[in-house]
Amino acid sequence: MLNRLRRFRRREERWQATFLRMLGPEEPELGCDECFAQLDRFVELEAAGVDAAEAMPELAAHLRGCGACREEHEDLLAFVRERGQ
Amino acid sequence: MTGREARAWPLPPVAVPAAEPEPWPGPRPLLDPDSRAWIAALSGTGATREQAVARLHALLVRAARFQLSRRASRLRLRGESVADLATEAADDALVSVLAHLHDFRGASRFTTWASKFAILEASVVLRRRVWKEREVTLDGDAFFEATPALADEEKREHRELLESLRVAVAEVLSDRQREVFVAVALNGVPIDLVADRLGATRGAVYKMLHDARRKLRTHLELPGGAATL
Repeated sequence: MLNRLRRFRRREERWQATFLRMLGPEEPELGCDECFAQLDRFVELEAAGVDAAEAMPELAAHLRGCGACREEHEDLLAFVRERGQ
Repeated sequence: MTGREARAWPLPPVAVPAAEPEPWPGPRPLLDPDSRAWIAALSGTGATREQAVARLHALLVRAARFQLSRRASRLRLRGESVADLATEAADDALVSVLAHLHDFRGASRFTTWASKFAILEASVVLRRRVWKEREVTLDGDAFFEATPALADEEKREHRELLESLRVAVAEVLSDRQREVFVAVALNGVPIDLVADRLGATRGAVYKMLHDARRKLRTHLELPGGAATL
């Protein structure tokens, strides 16, 4: 029974997270074009171990709100990290 | 051998801008030595430039192939390979990089800056392929009718929340904002595809999504969602 309740709780939390994610970030954020223009800088900061989200908060907010830009950010960061190895 | 493979580098893959690039506008930015060498070679003429363009194309192919391989599980390739799509994306990226060379200000290494063009092109190619045979639905009915497996009390809360959202989407948003919000935020249609469908740019569609979200948050008296996750 306890496991069932935990399972329900996890589903509920997942659903709430999905619901809130649909409504996007509240903070000021860049648009897709500005995000692309600055993405290389953001990624190099991350690759260097710097808190890029703190340095470039509006770009970080956009990545939380835009699935396409988030995907491209993840792939560029992974590529830069692999090349750096 | 496909058409793409037949015209693989070193043959010019696409219309590369003229061998005599325009003079650099204004003072050149301060660059790291490697980036400076790239810019010097690509801004030059003759064999030096040709070799630099070939090296750049090879880098872009690697970046595009990396992206496509990373997301390969979403690909349902028919008669095409990751290599073909990577070459296609790299060709387009090469044109963009050379056309935007003067925009490079040295905020990152040149190779990182150039690679993002290939990642972008590969991502767009991939999303279009994945959605080629899927229905791009701008209707939110399926989303609002879905009920996750929850306990009874949670189901009631879930329905109430969903109903609030459904009413807000119907009453607060403009027709275009509703289309964009339902497609991107509810149905998960990639923003590129929605932009194609509406004949708009990705940036313009995101602006519509941003405005729609702000209206809904205000109406539902909710904070920004992603910020709290």
